[in-house]
Amino acid sequence: MSPVEVLLLLALAAFFAGLGGSYLGIGGGVFLVPFMTLVLAVDIKRAIATSLIGVIATSSGAASVYVRDHLTNLRLAMFLEVATTIGAITGALVALLVPAVFLYVAFGAVVLYAAATMVRVRETAKERSYRGGAEPALVKRLNLSSVYFDQEDQAVYRYRVDRPGAGFGVSAAAGLFSGLLGVGGGFIKVPAMNILMRVPMKAAVATSNFMIGVTAAASAFIYYSQGLVDPSLAAMVIIGVFTGTNLGTRLLVRAKAANVRFVFAIFLAVLGIAMAVRALGFSGVV
Amino acid sequence: MIAARAGIRLVQHRIAALRRAVVGEVEDTNRLIYHVLRGGVLVSVAVLLFGFILVGAKSAALPDHSVPTRSLIPQLVEFTPAGFLSLGVLVLIATPMVRVLLSLLSVLVLIATPMVRVLLSLLSFAEDRDRTYVLMTGIVLVNLLISVFLLA
Repeated sequence: MSPVEVLLLLALAAFFAGLGGSYLGIGGGVFLVPFMTLVLAVDIKRAIATSLIGVIATSSGAASVYVRDHLTNLRLAMFLEVATTIGAITGALVALLVPAVFLYVAFGAVVLYAAATMVRVRETAKERSYRGGAEPALVKRLNLSSVYFDQEDQAVYRYRVDRPGAGFGVSAAAGLFSGLLGVGGGFIKVPAMNILMRVPMKAAVATSNFMIGVTAAASAFIYYSQGLVDPSLAAMVIIGVFTGTNLGTRLLVRAKAANVRFVFAIFLAVLGIAMAVRALGFSGVV
Repeated sequence: MIAARAGIRLVQHRIAALRRAVVGEVEDTNRLIYHVLRGGVLVSVAVLLFGFILVGAKSAALPDHSVPTRSLIPQLVEFTPAGFLSLGVLVLIATPMVRVLLSLLSVLVLIATPMVRVLLSLLSFAEDRDRTYVLMTGIVLVNLLISVFLLA
């Protein structure tokens, strides 16, 4: 592949990452990193650094719209960002130290997990409805519970946040993976908020998207300072993601969430298996 | 009777005004964050495209790694000695390296965008005198600063 072909393909991939990422509440890195390493033969640490730039662009582009539409729970985001930023810095430092084969194995595992959660996550209006009972003390103290307006059925949903401690822990892990593997970690945060903390799906997607930018920023500069950001790769990713998110936040609102999710999940499963095979090839098994 | 009705109307008026104020305040913070995130991405893309417009897509043996922030701005200024005078001069003297430097500047703007957002959140919580959240936002900001200065 010529360098120009590599750059054009990357811009195209970034476009789809931005398009899908803005809609699913993820940064799109989970797709960009395998694409760069497997198809474009970019060194994995440089791919991670470039992907983080794309993740910030996706998050900032999509999060701004969700914040404007009051879908984002700003307090919950702030609380969990304490965990994600600490995780992200740790992850980036670990990534700089470990050999590439470790990153391939970790990525394969994480991507397959992401594919599995994508297929499973669903939500009905009944699950969205408010449940009574006492709030956990920490949730009350931090005033984490909130309301959001759902465009789909034109209703306001009040929700109570559960298990703040567990959510905090999972967010730290999501941050670690973000810094380590150049992903936003949305595929960990969205199910964690939705299933564990009982935040409705749309609010969880918006809040996750909002946190991803800060999480990625906490590790992106560490990669930058090590000279791992390739200017031409980064330029293609920024342009691709920018057009993708702009289209994504406009067009995909009308698409069926389940369909987009399913296609994306299958796609991820293929990439995850390819990453795992690549890792085995590295260690001389294949 | 008329006085009572006028009184009720006055109370209704007060409540409506209060509601507007509360909604307005929430709207303000959200709007500000919206503009910061949106604006950061737009500035970043603008800087990037400016580099491509100045230089075009022609490539040479250019660095494929990030330039330290310390030398990025000095190098940009060095490459454009008369650049601040006119755009025409800038186009004439811009080398492909200028595009590389502007691409990296665009990356840095993008990384800084969420950081500015956190700073604004901190100010907004401070204005509300919400101590717990000022503390939490402060921790996040310190983490971000650590990431900037740790290996730089």
